[in-house]
Amino acid sequence: MLKSNPGLALCILIAIGAICFALFSGDPYYVQVVIWVFANAALAVTLRFVLLIGELNIATAAFFGIGAYTTAVASTILGWPFFISLLAAPVIAGVISSLFGWITLRTKGPYFLLISFAFTEIVRLIYTKTEALGGNSGMIGMFPPMELDAYFPAIAISILAAILFGLYAAERSNLGRVFKAIKNNEDIPRSVGLNVIGLKILCLVIASTAVGLVGGVHAYTNSVIAPADFTYFVAVLALAYVKIGGEGHIVGPIIGATILTLAGQFLHSFGPYENIFYGAIIIGALLLVPGGIVGLGVRFKAGTLMGRAGR
Amino acid sequence: MNDTQTDTLSGYNKSSEGKILLKAESLERKFGGLTAVADFSFELHEGEILGLIGPNGAGKSTTFNLISGFIPPTSGTLSFLDQNITSKSATYISRMGLIRTFQHESLLSEMSVADNIIIATTHRLKTAAARQEKMREMAKLTGLEDYLKVTASSLPHGLQRMLSIAIALAAEPKVLCLDEPLTGLQGSEVKAALDLFEMIRSELGITILLVEHNMRAVMRICDRILVLNHGRLLAAGTPEEVSQNDLVIEAYLGHKK
Repeated sequence: MLKSNPGLALCILIAIGAICFALFSGDPYYVQVVIWVFANAALAVTLRFVLLIGELNIATAAFFGIGAYTTAVASTILGWPFFISLLAAPVIAGVISSLFGWITLRTKGPYFLLISFAFTEIVRLIYTKTEALGGNSGMIGMFPPMELDAYFPAIAISILAAILFGLYAAERSNLGRVFKAIKNNEDIPRSVGLNVIGLKILCLVIASTAVGLVGGVHAYTNSVIAPADFTYFVAVLALAYVKIGGEGHIVGPIIGATILTLAGQFLHSFGPYENIFYGAIIIGALLLVPGGIVGLGVRFKAGTLMGRAGR
Repeated sequence: MNDTQTDTLSGYNKSSEGKILLKAESLERKFGGLTAVADFSFELHEGEILGLIGPNGAGKSTTFNLISGFIPPTSGTLSFLDQNITSKSATYISRMGLIRTFQHESLLSEMSVADNIIIATTHRLKTAAARQEKMREMAKLTGLEDYLKVTASSLPHGLQRMLSIAIALAAEPKVLCLDEPLTGLQGSEVKAALDLFEMIRSELGITILLVEHNMRAVMRICDRILVLNHGRLLAAGTPEEVSQNDLVIEAYLGHKK
């Protein structure tokens, strides 16, 4: 399989490299940046996963938060062990997203987008109004167990990389093909016996389960979470990663997340003006490179091929 | 089910003597104040090719949407394989084996020919190998075997029509509902398509309900014809009977002979 897919082999090598870097590097800051890159890539890839059925799911941010809060509650209030607290995140995010999808995926396009936006803000407001969840100041004290502390960055990167490869495998399977068919013309899959609404819900649940786990990892990585971490803006950033990297292939959002996360380390100095930059990137990418960086690559390849054929 | 018994008793052939697969009773559909289909009853018998014709706006496409579950009827009942399917979902009805094609946007335009057909095998076949095999079989049947990797929207029009039939066949229908499959085809392509329909009926044993504008083709291939006008059944019978019916001639030509 790897022989016929050198790109996949390269990605696996990069992931292994990142895990080794986390294990052996002495500089916690750079390790932290690598975790951010993987976490942002996972956010962007889960946002893109729902784009496969043609829906822009702002609630990616909500399920990211639900995952983080689940892990926080499980580990600090309930005192559950590390791995169980972590695994509770995707389970709860998956369950809530199945309900959310069952109710909302009968709508599509701008209607679904607005509902998912409203859901994200409502969930955030619930955190701020709930004393048990720490209200506006959020929750604190999610630490991996002492004996795992040294390995935690490597564990976090391994989990995030596994999410990326898992979603890649899902997209390459027949299920991924069906999702794309739904986006293309949902009457066709419906006319040949496929349950289109059920499949849309499944797509959302897969993505939300994945992003819930990213949220769980985020809770342990940061040790502190607050409602302000989970606004719709998380999804807007993820959209920026998808748009600049390219929507056509799963490596698009990964490339976009890498570039913007690294650039973000310098942009922090602009303070609140940083966000203008992200907005400009989305608009600029939409206008100038509609296929993103991956799309440019494909166009370049096609261009050279056509050039040869023309001569 | 005692269909084998019925078949031997009636000396089952391709004629309208076959058992009733699909039955519509007093079917009606209103859109706001407009009645698209009214008091429409018909039966589709196993093994026949039944034509559904009528001028533009006669309610043919609405009828297709009603029987395939894409829109629910305002009133009336539908039964398929002796089961009441009135207001059942399109997914449910297609899983039972009633597969329809579409007049417009009948393909997954951005996907390859192979992917278009594989999507249709997904519900019935569970392994990738079985789907591939079925896909190749259907592509060969419809003359698409050399175009498997081509994006559907860049196929020539005639082959796009063939692809929409390949998609429907890959879903293993008992009843195949074709919505104007000959539109825009050249003379030789029409003949090839009609031969394909005959083959689908005689060799694959699939019953066909055909909506079509091409009168010569309908007269040639159909065992029976239903004529709709203003949403109501105007006439029904063999091609000869229908073509000599005064009401039908008036509806099409606007005056009596």
